Amino acid sequence: MWLKRLWTSKTETSGRPPTTVQFFRQATLHRNAGRFEEAAALVEQGLRLDPDNVVGLLLSGSIHAVFREMDKAREAFQRVLALDPTHPRALLGMARMALEEGETEACTDFLRRALARYPDFPEATALLEAVSQGATDAAPRPAPATGFRVERLRVPQESREALLARIDATLIFAQPRGTSTEEVATRTSRVCRLTGSLLTRCGLKGLKHAILEGAAETTFLRADGEIVLSIAFGRDVEINAGLAHLERVWTNCHQELSSQVAS
Amino acid sequence: MTTDSTGGSLPDAHAPAGRDFRQVLAGLTQLEHVRGGLLVAPDGLVIAATLPPDIAVEPVSALAATLGRELELRGPRLRRGTFLMAHFLADDGAVFLGGTPIGFIVLLTDTQVNRDAIRHALREAIGSIRQAWPR
Repeated sequence: MWLKRLWTSKTETSGRPPTTVQFFRQATLHRNAGRFEEAAALVEQGLRLDPDNVVGLLLSGSIHAVFREMDKAREAFQRVLALDPTHPRALLGMARMALEEGETEACTDFLRRALARYPDFPEATALLEAVSQGATDAAPRPAPATGFRVERLRVPQESREALLARIDATLIFAQPRGTSTEEVATRTSRVCRLTGSLLTRCGLKGLKHAILEGAAETTFLRADGEIVLSIAFGRDVEINAGLAHLERVWTNCHQELSSQVAS
Repeated sequence: MTTDSTGGSLPDAHAPAGRDFRQVLAGLTQLEHVRGGLLVAPDGLVIAATLPPDIAVEPVSALAATLGRELELRGPRLRRGTFLMAHFLADDGAVFLGGTPIGFIVLLTDTQVNRDAIRHALREAIGSIRQAWPR
């Protein structure tokens, strides 16, 4: 590999082994350029020489996160926090992982600690705004509607799952309803809030609809500031057909909610 | 040679197409009605970005990475399968987000954009990065 040759020639010329600073500086260059494997190799070598180097540990956490090795990433960030309990980057890393695990309160706490040390931290500010919109994320309220007439919504037969929830993840209806329904509602609500924040930061107004394509299913979302509708189909659904179903059921949901209020 | 975001230059003459992230992103941002885009690592690190100057990169990258991870985790957890891509439509534009082994591609577009053309191009870009990063 050219990098190994580069190091070898340098050390042979100067007669001195590279310092940890050099290792981590070069690793940072590689990571920033998206050369994660080269960066990982250098970080590993650098940390072998200096296991408590904060820069190296942060790089390690970042690179493990790239490869979705979240346990190792967490370990690296925790080691940074053991050395520097208010390190903003390590706190941001921990906040992300807390959010991934649905621990909104812990996430918020990490972000607030990061911002206490570095008030102009743009990533932490953006994430805290998004997370704060859903303070009830972890504990959806029980479903309020008992007289909701699902048959009036005309949910397409080919849909695998349809779900209507309040934006705080309180379930209004789900068809079919199973053991994972509450989690679907929570995660759907979280996707809507993150998307709303992302669109705002991109200079766009609120979310109209979303199409989430997975290897097994395609999910269509429709939301306003109060409720979110999610309809999942098989992966081969035609996009325009899915959107037409979504619009129809969305209109019917609003009519049914209005009729409930009226009665 | 590739110029990295810190100003250094690193040789990449033999890198597969999917490893040249700036080239991948440049190909996508040249499409009609695409205003800009970025490639962000799962931890929010910006690998490449060409966003309009009035949009701050860091908040967008932080939120895009968080949203991407949420979609990535949601798929297997809820038996939706591996996350491929998402399209978010707003009144005055749209955001496309694609999942790759090293992070997420984000494209910011006008409302007039040809959705299927972007989906097709994004799918190809994701495919080229996956080929270059088979892990």
